[in-house]
Amino acid sequence: MTSLEHSQREGKILILATETCAYPGADSVGQAHSSYPTNTFILRVRAPVLFPEQFYLDCFKKGISGIIIMSCGEECPYDGAYKAMATRLDRVYKMMRQQDLDIRRLRLTAICTVCNRAFLNEVNLMNTLLQEIGPPQMAQN
Amino acid sequence: MVDENKDKEKTSKRKVGVYICYCGGNISDHVDVEKVRERVEKQPEVAVVRTNVFMCSDPGQEMIMEDLKNGTIDRVVVASCAPSLHETTFRGAISRAGGNPYIYEHANIREQVSWVHHGDKATDKATRLVSMAAAKAEQLKPLESIRVEARKHATVIGGGIAGLRAAKDLADRGIKVVLLEKSPFLGGQLANLDRIAPTGDKAAELVSDLAGQVLNDDSITVHTCSAVENFEGYVGNFKLGVKKQPPEMDQEKIKQLGAKDEAVGEFIPFAGIYNGAMPSVPEEFTVETGVIILATGFKSYMPYKGEYGFGEYEQVVTLPELIRSMAENKAAGNLMEYNGRKIRSMAMIHCVGSRQIPGIHPENEGGYLNEYCSRTCCSAALNSSNIIRTSYPGTRIFEFYRDIRTYGRGQEELYEDAARNQVVFLRFDDDASPKVARNTSHSGDFPLTVKVKDTLTFGEDVEAPVDLVVLVTGVEPNNVSDLVEMMKLPVGTDRFLLEVHPKLRPVELPISGILLAGTCQAPMDVGEACNAAGAAAVKAAALLGRGYVELDPFVALVDLEKCKGTGDCVEACLSDGALNIVEIELDGQTVKRAQVTPALCLGCGACVGVCPENAIEVAGWTLKQYEAMVDRIVAQEVAA
Amino acid sequence: MNSILKTDFDVLVVGGGIAGLQTALDLGDQDYKVAVVEKDATIGGKMIRLSKVFPTLDCASCITTPKMASAAHHDNITLFTYCDVNSLDRVGQTVTADVTQRPRYVDPNKCIGCRQCEYHCPVYVSDAEQGGFSATKAISIPFSNAIPQIAVMDVENCMLCGKCEKVCPTHAIDYFQEPEQFVITAKTAVLTTGFELTPVSNKHQYGMGEIPNVIDSMQMERLLAPHGPYNRVLRPSDGMEPDSIAYVQCAGSRDKSMGVSYCSRVCCMYAIKQTMLLSGSLPLADITVYYMDIRAFGKGYEQFYQNAKAMGIEFVKGKVAKISEGENGGVELHYESQDGEGVVTANHDLVVLSLGMVPGWNPEGICPVSADSDLFVKTIRPKLSPTLTDMEGVFVAGAAAGPKDIVDTITESGAAAVEAAKYMVALERSRKAAA
Repeated sequence: MTSLEHSQREGKILILATETCAYPGADSVGQAHSSYPTNTFILRVRAPVLFPEQFYLDCFKKGISGIIIMSCGEECPYDGAYKAMATRLDRVYKMMRQQDLDIRRLRLTAICTVCNRAFLNEVNLMNTLLQEIGPPQMAQN
Repeated sequence: MVDENKDKEKTSKRKVGVYICYCGGNISDHVDVEKVRERVEKQPEVAVVRTNVFMCSDPGQEMIMEDLKNGTIDRVVVASCAPSLHETTFRGAISRAGGNPYIYEHANIREQVSWVHHGDKATDKATRLVSMAAAKAEQLKPLESIRVEARKHATVIGGGIAGLRAAKDLADRGIKVVLLEKSPFLGGQLANLDRIAPTGDKAAELVSDLAGQVLNDDSITVHTCSAVENFEGYVGNFKLGVKKQPPEMDQEKIKQLGAKDEAVGEFIPFAGIYNGAMPSVPEEFTVETGVIILATGFKSYMPYKGEYGFGEYEQVVTLPELIRSMAENKAAGNLMEYNGRKIRSMAMIHCVGSRQIPGIHPENEGGYLNEYCSRTCCSAALNSSNIIRTSYPGTRIFEFYRDIRTYGRGQEELYEDAARNQVVFLRFDDDASPKVARNTSHSGDFPLTVKVKDTLTFGEDVEAPVDLVVLVTGVEPNNVSDLVEMMKLPVGTDRFLLEVHPKLRPVELPISGILLAGTCQAPMDVGEACNAAGAAAVKAAALLGRGYVELDPFVALVDLEKCKGTGDCVEACLSDGALNIVEIELDGQTVKRAQVTPALCLGCGACVGVCPENAIEVAGWTLKQYEAMVDRIVAQEVAA
Repeated sequence: MNSILKTDFDVLVVGGGIAGLQTALDLGDQDYKVAVVEKDATIGGKMIRLSKVFPTLDCASCITTPKMASAAHHDNITLFTYCDVNSLDRVGQTVTADVTQRPRYVDPNKCIGCRQCEYHCPVYVSDAEQGGFSATKAISIPFSNAIPQIAVMDVENCMLCGKCEKVCPTHAIDYFQEPEQFVITAKTAVLTTGFELTPVSNKHQYGMGEIPNVIDSMQMERLLAPHGPYNRVLRPSDGMEPDSIAYVQCAGSRDKSMGVSYCSRVCCMYAIKQTMLLSGSLPLADITVYYMDIRAFGKGYEQFYQNAKAMGIEFVKGKVAKISEGENGGVELHYESQDGEGVVTANHDLVVLSLGMVPGWNPEGICPVSADSDLFVKTIRPKLSPTLTDMEGVFVAGAAAGPKDIVDTITESGAAAVEAAKYMVALERSRKAAA
C-alpha cells in the first residue's frame, strides 16, 4: 500500500465512553468548543465490562482501526468492574496478538467528566498511531 | 416485473422516526441539517425524518407525538444536544403520546459534533451518528420501569444551618429524618460568627432558633459525634452504617462546655448547640433511609505560613479570628483592642485564599488553587469594619481589595456605610498583591506596614502603617473524600460537590436520591444556604411522596432458551444477590437457570461479557444494538 | 353571562417566568394542584428571551423550554396566560385572586398555532420580542418556542382587513372577544413576579435612550440569540458590523440618580457572557467593559471572568459619567480615567448599557403584601426562611424578592415550594384538629 493510500484511508476510531464519566467528559470537550478529528465515534456505555472479548475482534474485522475504552477508572460506579475489565482486556490483547493485530489499537484509559485535555490527548495519540500503522490487516480480507 | 420503488421499499419491520434539531443555529451553523435528513431518509428502518429549530420546544415535541399517535412511527430518534439535557424531555413526550418511553434513542450532534467539528465532515459525522442511533432504535424494545417501595425517611448529613434547615423542612412535610453530625455541636460554621451581614441578625439566635426547632421535633432524630462509615442501596432504600464515637475534633470547644449536662440545648458561642452527652465508647448502628441530603458544609481558608506575613507576625490574623475577638471583647473605648493591644490603625486584605490565579498565586500543597470567589467575605469584612468604625472611632481602617462584591439585598448599603464611616479603600490589581512587612521606616511605632500600588489613585505606591492586619479569608469545602469514595459523588475542579446542572438540576447528583444542600456545593451566605436546603428538601419530598420510586429498567434479562445455567454470570456479578442460579421447570424438565433480582441489579453488564451462550443482556443496552451501531460506523453507503 | 367562573387550587403562583415555573413544578411533583397566572401571552419570562446563559454558555432556550413544556403538560399544573391579577388577598384560610383574561382576539380553544394568520397579515409592526430590531405582524405567535402556541392580535395596529379570519382553518379569529373576569382560590400563593430593566429614559446623562447605537443589554441578547433579528450582530442605525463595542456597567444600578442604589447582581456576569459571545461572532472587534467592581461571585463565575480577560476583553475601571452622539454613528463615552489623565473620551461603534433590575410588579392596591425600600417584595426572615413575606401563607421567590441570577432563582423557587407545602400541611393539621 502506498503512503498516499494510507492518508486517504482515514482509520475509524471507536470510543466506548462510560455514561457517568467519559461520555459527559466528551460533552465537556464540546462545551469548551475544542476541536478534534471527525473519525471518532463515541458509544455511550453503562460499563465497558459488558463487552465480551469477541466484540473487540469483530470490530477490527469490520474495519474499525482503533478502539479507546474511556472508563471511569478507579471512580467506576460499579465496584469491581474496572478490575474485571482490565483482566478481560488482557485476554483480548492475547487474542489480538494471535491474529497479528497491533495491540496499541486498543487502549483502556480513564476519562473524568471534566478531563478535556486527557480526552483530546487520547484521541490525538490514537490518530497519530493510526497514521503510522494504517488500518488493521484483517480488515483487508 | 421490476418494481421501481423496490430499492426504496422498507425492509425493516420497525418504523423509526428521526427528528433532527437545529438548536437555533448551535447545530445548523456547522451541520447541514437538511442534508443529514436527506441521507438518513434512505435508511431502511427509517419511516420519517423531520427537522425543527428547537426540537425541545413544544411544537418540536408535538411533531413526535403526532407521528406516534397516527402510527407513522413506532421508534424515536432525536438528534440534538447531549442526552443529559433532553433525553428525559423526549421520553416524556413519547409517554404523553401513549408510547413506551424506552423506544427512544438519542443522537448527540451538538456537544459531540457541531461544537467540535466543522464543515462537510461535521455533516458526515452527524449523518453517521443519526444513522447509528436509528440502527439501535430499530432494536429497542418497550421496557417497564421497576417500581420499588421507598422508605418515607430522609437522612441529612451535616448539622450546620443547611442541614438543620433541610431536616426541619422535611419533618414539616411529614417525613421522618435522621440528622448526622460529626462534631458534638449543631450549627456548623454559623456558630463561629457573631452578627450576620447585612441584617445584623445574631448568629446565636439563628442557630438556637432552628436547632431548637429540630431538637424539639419528634420526627427528627439527631445523632451528633456520628459519621457515615458504610453506604449501600439505592434510592428509596439506602442503608447507612453509622459510627458514633467520642469526638476527636473540637477538643477546645468541648473544654468550654464545663458542666456538660447543664449546657444541653444551649448555644455555646463559637461552638454551637451542644446536644447532650458524648459517647464514651464507639457504637455502631444502621440507618435505613429513602434519600440522603448532603449538607457537609465548608471550612474557613487557613493561610499558609508567610502568606501576607501570616504565622510570621503575630499581628496578622484572619477575619474569623477578628470576628471572635470582637464578640468576646466588647469593651467600649476610642480604640479597639485586640489581644490586649490597642489598635490605632488596621488593614483588611481581601481575597485571601480566593480568586487565585494560575501563575500568580502559588498552588496549595495539594497542587490546587482556589480560583473561585468565596462570595461572602466582602460583606463580612465590610460589616466588621462598620462595627469597628462606629464603636471605636479612633481605629482607622484600610481595606485592600480587588473588587467589592456586595451583590445581595442590603449589601451595597454596607459598602456605602463603610465609605461614610471613612474606611479607606485601596484597590490592587490581580498580579500586584499588597505586601505586609515589619515597619522600619515609621519610627517603629506601628509594628507593620502594608504596601500596595493603589489603582484608585492612579497607581500610586501607598504604604499604610498598621497595628493589625486582618486577612479576609475565603471558604473551602470540607474534606468529604470518605463520602465521595463511598457514594461515588462527583466533585468539581473547585473541589466542591458537583451538581448535575446548575440550572436544570441544581441540587441533584447523578446518583438518584442523593441531594446537595448548602456550602458543600459552593460558597453561600446563610439565606442562600437555607434556600438550597429548602430546594433539596422539596426534591426529597417529591421523591418520597408517593411511597415508591421508579427505577430505570436497564437491568439484566436472561434468555431462558439459551441459558445453560453455567453460573459464569453469577460469578462475574458485581452486586451481591442480583444474580442467582435457580431450578425452574422448563418444557416439563427441571433445569438450572440464571435469575435476576431487578432491584439489586446495577445494570453494569458484567454478566453479559462472560456468558458463553450469549444468553444474558442488559435491557436497553444490548450487545446486538451495539453491534448494529458499529456496522453503521463502518458502512460505506451511510454518508454518501 | 353574569356568573363569574371560580376555580379552586392548592397553590396560586403569580408569574410564569423561570421562578414561577420551577415553583409550580416542585409543587406539582408533590401532587399539589397549582395555578400559574402569567401576564404575558407566553410563559418563560425573561429567561426564554435570552441568548445563552452564564457560566455554562448553554443556550437559554435549551434550559427553559423543557421546564416550560413540563409545566404545560403537568397533570397538576394549570397555566393562565395573558392574564392580569387585579386583586390578591387572604380571607380566612383562602387566598382569593380576581383575574382578568385579556382578549387575544383569537379563541384559544380553536387556535392550533398554524400561523396562517401571521403569514397572511399585511400589517408589519416592530417586534418587541426582537428588541424592536425587526418586524412581526399585527397578529402573530409571540415567538417560535412560546407556550401556549396561540396567536395574539395587536389591536392597536390591526386594520381589520379580515385576511386572518379568512385563512384561519379553525375559525379561531374573534374580533369581538371581550376581557373575561374569573376568580382563583387557593390555600397559599407564591409571588414570582420577576423584574423589568431599569428604565433608561430618566437618565439624561445617558441620552435617555435616544442616542443611536446605544442599546440595552436585553436588545443585545436578541442580537446574539440564535434566532435573533439579523442572525448576526449589526449596529442598528446603519447595519454596520461594529469594530468597537463598549459595555457601560452599573447603568441603572448603584446609581442614586436613577433611584436604584442597589447592585443588580447579574449585569457583570451577563455583560461578560455577551462579550464572550461577541468575540465569537465578531472576532476582530475590540470589546471594552467600563465597570466599578466586577461582581463574579457565583459558582464558576470568577473563572468565567478570568477566561474573558484571557480572551482579550478589555476591562476598564471607571464609571461612565456621560454618553453622547459621536461622528458617523459612533458613540462617545466620557469617564474618569484611573490613570490620572482626568476625564477621558472614548469612541465606540456600538454601546451597550448594562441595565439593572427593577421590580416587575407593584403590589400596591392589589395585594396587602409589603414592598421594601428597594420596592421589591419584602421578606421577613431573610436568613432562615428567605421566601417568607409579611402576609400569612404568601411566599416570594426569584427576582420578585430582589435582583437574582437564574441559578439562585431556581434554588429559591424550590425553597418557596417547600415553604408553601409546609404551610399547607400545617393548615391541614389545624383543620383536622378543629374538626
